[in-house]
Amino acid sequence: MNKTRKQFFLTTVGLALVMALFPMWLGEFYLHVVTIGLFYVILAISWNLLAGYAGQLSLAHHAFAAVGGYASALLFLYGSEALGTPLPLWTTIIFGTIFAGLVGYGLGSVCLNMRRIYLAITTWAFAESFRLWVMSEYEITRGDLGLSTELLFDTSDPTPFFYVFLGATALCLWIVFEIIRSPAGFYLRALRDDEEAAQAMGVDTVRWKRFAFTASSAMAGFAGTLQAHYIGMLTPTPIKFNEMAIILVMVIAGGLRSFWGPAIGAMFIQVLAEALRDYAEYRMVLFAVMVLAIMRFYREGIFGMMRDGVAKLRSQPIRGST
Amino acid sequence: MDLIILTQYVLSGLVIGVIYALMAVSITFVHGMMKVVNWSMGEYYMMGGYIQYLLITMLIGPSLWFLGIPIAFAIIFVLGVVIQRYMLHPMFVGESERMDEYATIVTITLMILFRNLAIIFGGPYQYSVPDYFPPTDLGPLPISGNRFMALIGTALILGILYYVMKKTWPGRALLGMSQNRIGIQTAGINVRRLDEIAFGIGVGLAAAAGALLAPVFLVWAESGSVPTMKGFEIVVIGGLGSIPGSIIAALLLGLIESLGSVFISSEYRDLFGFVFLILILIFRPNGLFGDRERLA
Repeated sequence: MNKTRKQFFLTTVGLALVMALFPMWLGEFYLHVVTIGLFYVILAISWNLLAGYAGQLSLAHHAFAAVGGYASALLFLYGSEALGTPLPLWTTIIFGTIFAGLVGYGLGSVCLNMRRIYLAITTWAFAESFRLWVMSEYEITRGDLGLSTELLFDTSDPTPFFYVFLGATALCLWIVFEIIRSPAGFYLRALRDDEEAAQAMGVDTVRWKRFAFTASSAMAGFAGTLQAHYIGMLTPTPIKFNEMAIILVMVIAGGLRSFWGPAIGAMFIQVLAEALRDYAEYRMVLFAVMVLAIMRFYREGIFGMMRDGVAKLRSQPIRGST
Repeated sequence: MDLIILTQYVLSGLVIGVIYALMAVSITFVHGMMKVVNWSMGEYYMMGGYIQYLLITMLIGPSLWFLGIPIAFAIIFVLGVVIQRYMLHPMFVGESERMDEYATIVTITLMILFRNLAIIFGGPYQYSVPDYFPPTDLGPLPISGNRFMALIGTALILGILYYVMKKTWPGRALLGMSQNRIGIQTAGINVRRLDEIAFGIGVGLAAAAGALLAPVFLVWAESGSVPTMKGFEIVVIGGLGSIPGSIIAALLLGLIESLGSVFISSEYRDLFGFVFLILILIFRPNGLFGDRERLA
């Protein structure tokens, strides 16, 4: 095991252990906030894999979470009806994840020839079409009324859900870590930096573009299924573009293209948003100004700030130690 | 189907198409000149509507409504120049390796900013502007006076835009910039200043559209989301940066929506545009009239 991997495992396990104690300290409400925060962490790191590492600035990530959630909930609803017995939820969660991955593969294939702006607009159009479809096919999806879903645990206490999300987040972090450390990670970055050059060097750009879309969509779908079976209700509202804007704010605030940045940013924004819940519009203005300032003056985000701070502290000799 | 009813649907589709063309022209203009997609376009449209509402109710009164359109244009023009100078300009001077990414992130953030500022100042209410014109007939089609005025206004605004672009000095400089950013610098033109003018005109057009269409679609904080949606569909179908392309695409979209809701189902009205867009992009990745993008 080399040094970076060791460092990664130590950090992840350490963080997970500390967070595993959260139910002892936090009240039910803040535990719920942190659980939803973990949902956003998965979305943020998987979007960072696609947009930050592979350079495919997709604007459909929030839709993939909903695709997974709806696929799982609908399979449970109609599958159980057809079989006569309720399906075990883990099968529908796996189905939702795979389904979102497949849709991601499809969207990635459609977008193979599109670059930059066209890619952003096509993915955005996909997300909007999915939202309109959910709203208009209310006989299947229940539209704006909301589709009530089976809960993962039969309790209103967020503690067991929190542990599930914690495990899922650790799993996704590990997957993203392994991807960007493997040759695939280098192919993805080559794809981002210069597609023609990568192609000339023998990188199968078609394959790796599809791979990036599939992997990140499957992760978003996974998070979406878990969230659907945690909240117990699916509506078209989270497929609105605002949700994508929030994911974007989280990733940029944390630091695009850094490994830990999006995770930190997602948790930070989520907790801050809940703390400022009384000032609904003002907090969005605050986030927007924050992101504009980061984009304008300090591209590295919160994670970069922390890293630079630590580096500065290390480089200073400790007083009195000589 | 009755021929008269069919003509009515075709006509109403074309009328809505003309209105869509006005919504799309701002995105096309900004992209054509600066190669930037402005995701916050709908928010300038929304602000144009608010300005028009404030002017009519407080300052000029409903009979002088047409004065509000150039005023909205002027105010948002200044705002656009400021945004271009302080927010968007850094992307051209090599501070960012991926300028499209920078522009997407910054303009989406501006969208959140303006939308929530509008909620803070205007509240969650929908404001309606008094009618511009009494209902009238357009051939066999009875039409609301507001839509009729929108039709005439769109023709006027596009006509003025055409005149400015082809006949005046700044317009021709802008056209030059859209063809070759480096070439025009060798001709001694300050591209930085020109970018500010281009972005200002682009968002000003959106504000003028918002002021003109204020009585048709009401004025509220999220009123920009429909023009953004239609605008992007049209711009991509027509090919980014091609103004005639986006006008044709807008008429096509209006027709498809109008006829699709008659022959297929009116529930899917908004879905037709997206399906059409994705189909067009699969077969023509640069839109109907777009030039092939130069690589690298």
